[in-house]
Amino acid sequence: MNEYKINKISDYKWEIEKDEKYGMRVPGIIFANKELLDHAVREKTIDQVMNVATLPGILKASFAMPDIHYGYGFPIGGVAAFGEEGGVISPGGVGFDISCGVRILRSNLDIKDVKNKLEDIMGILSMSVPKGVGSKGKIRLSKSELTRLIVEGVNWAIKNGYGWEEDKFFIEEKGQMEDTNPDYVSSEAMERGLSQVGTLGSGNHFLEIQVVDTIYDKAAAEAMGLNEGQIAIMIHSGSRGFGHQICSDYIRVMQKTAAEYGIKLPDRQLACAPLDSPESKRYYRAMNCAANYAMVNRQCLANWAREALEKFFKKSQEKLGLNIVYDVSHNIAKFEEYNIDGEVKKVCVHRKGATRSFPPGHRDIPGQYKSIGQPVLIPGDMGTYSYILVGTEKAMDESFGSTCHGAGRLMSRTKAKKSVQGSELKKELFDDKGIVVMAGSMAGLAEEAPLAYKDVNEVVDIAHNAGLSKKAVRLRPLGVLKG
Amino acid sequence: MKKLRAFKKYKYIEHPSDTGIEFSGNTLEELFSNAAAGMFSIICDLRLIKPEETRVIKISRKGIEYEDLIVLWLERLLYLHEVESMLFSRFEVKKIVENSNNIMLDARIYGERIDFNRHEIKIAIKAPTYHTLGIEKDSIKNSWQGRIIFDV
Repeated sequence: MNEYKINKISDYKWEIEKDEKYGMRVPGIIFANKELLDHAVREKTIDQVMNVATLPGILKASFAMPDIHYGYGFPIGGVAAFGEEGGVISPGGVGFDISCGVRILRSNLDIKDVKNKLEDIMGILSMSVPKGVGSKGKIRLSKSELTRLIVEGVNWAIKNGYGWEEDKFFIEEKGQMEDTNPDYVSSEAMERGLSQVGTLGSGNHFLEIQVVDTIYDKAAAEAMGLNEGQIAIMIHSGSRGFGHQICSDYIRVMQKTAAEYGIKLPDRQLACAPLDSPESKRYYRAMNCAANYAMVNRQCLANWAREALEKFFKKSQEKLGLNIVYDVSHNIAKFEEYNIDGEVKKVCVHRKGATRSFPPGHRDIPGQYKSIGQPVLIPGDMGTYSYILVGTEKAMDESFGSTCHGAGRLMSRTKAKKSVQGSELKKELFDDKGIVVMAGSMAGLAEEAPLAYKDVNEVVDIAHNAGLSKKAVRLRPLGVLKG
Repeated sequence: MKKLRAFKKYKYIEHPSDTGIEFSGNTLEELFSNAAAGMFSIICDLRLIKPEETRVIKISRKGIEYEDLIVLWLERLLYLHEVESMLFSRFEVKKIVENSNNIMLDARIYGERIDFNRHEIKIAIKAPTYHTLGIEKDSIKNSWQGRIIFDV
């Protein structure tokens, strides 16, 4: 464990002093309360925050959001921005699941409409949503079609009948990252991507039927078309094997070139390359292909969910009002503009388990949300709550427009499995809370048990109190579908 | 053939968010075989996977170390698992040869196609990581040991 000095800045903000001997170029900033900070200390996550602070061209600080926990290379909840000159891009700082993210759809259904029908609804959803490897994906693409998909993003999906024309306006980047180049994607990544479009995946990925439980910000809820008691669908998934392979490919490339560029890595998983290097440009364009893949994946998952509900309620998707509220990624590197020391600079922001949190009026958010700020989607664990927050101006000043992305793990997967059995958990959630859980694996379910996660209410309160995002809506799970 | 089993082939290690294994082998080849078994045991109970079909894997790379080779080897297995919907339970790394600047691995693996009636996929592995990755030779015991964390 490293030695370091922690300074309290406020109840929700802590500084890890810059240690030049360790190679830190900037301090670490952790947004947490004392309890969560102590947990990060015990888990040695501070070491990972410090490691990121040693990367060339890092600006202001190596940040960690309130759901900070120990990852590999970057901490989960890590945010780091790099200047165009002298800065780097790190595939490990994005993660294997490139553009893993969350989407939420609202509906015209009320909690009364699903009462006593949840098991049937979840059954039909479970039949309609392919889970992952080995399950029969509904879409089997040719390589040329996949090439179009990773360039066109959600436009490809809509053109092919997987969604509504207006969907794209409620997705980050309108569902399409533009700076792509399929030539920089390996044939292995393409092969892995062919059959996995529209599949959920396992681990913490899910599709949930939720009910709007509490409204904190009336104006924001109204802009998002959400009312108490209303049914919503939340989807958490990413770029599947396609993105995983791209990350692996470029970590390998940058392992080699880091030494050539004179970059010293405190952890090999932090492999990176200067932003103006050919390796960096190739990775960025391949990563954007994966971001497009991820957005299409969530688009198709949403489409299967819409079709399933249409079938169940015998009403059209449009009549059911299954509009996208928003879709945002929490594993990504993006070029964004920030005011740094009085000058507007373009920087490359890495968010590894952190969500973009743009303020009201920002040009990159849909017109409907201009007055409230960008919706920030925070999935909690399957037994408690999920949240929608909205972006703030303070996040632009304090955390490169970023906030938390979930509850954050508290307990290892092994410990979780030792503490609870999947089948018991499923029964308990139903008996105690009426939550219907469908999961491909009971062992996998146990690893995702609520007790393995921090209290999402606490994490969200910290993000809110630190000013990184503002609480708008809380949702409660009714039905959970896991891969 | 006399079977040397000085220690367990692999064991799971705690990681706060992901999962990992420590693995060992009397030879480098055995070490690599055991790492593969450890990885697939995270995905599915190995006892449920019949070694009915076989695949040959050859890897040859210049300028890499054993750590890079193990990542490449495990990635290749995950690739076959995903692309061909296969599960593997028997791994025979026949030889790992280091020649000047080149490392070569030659292996045969055994498994079968995923059948959801018999196979419970506990969790999917996204990728092997380089975080705290290590491969070491224990000169006293004359054996090999390794450690790897997977993103799940």
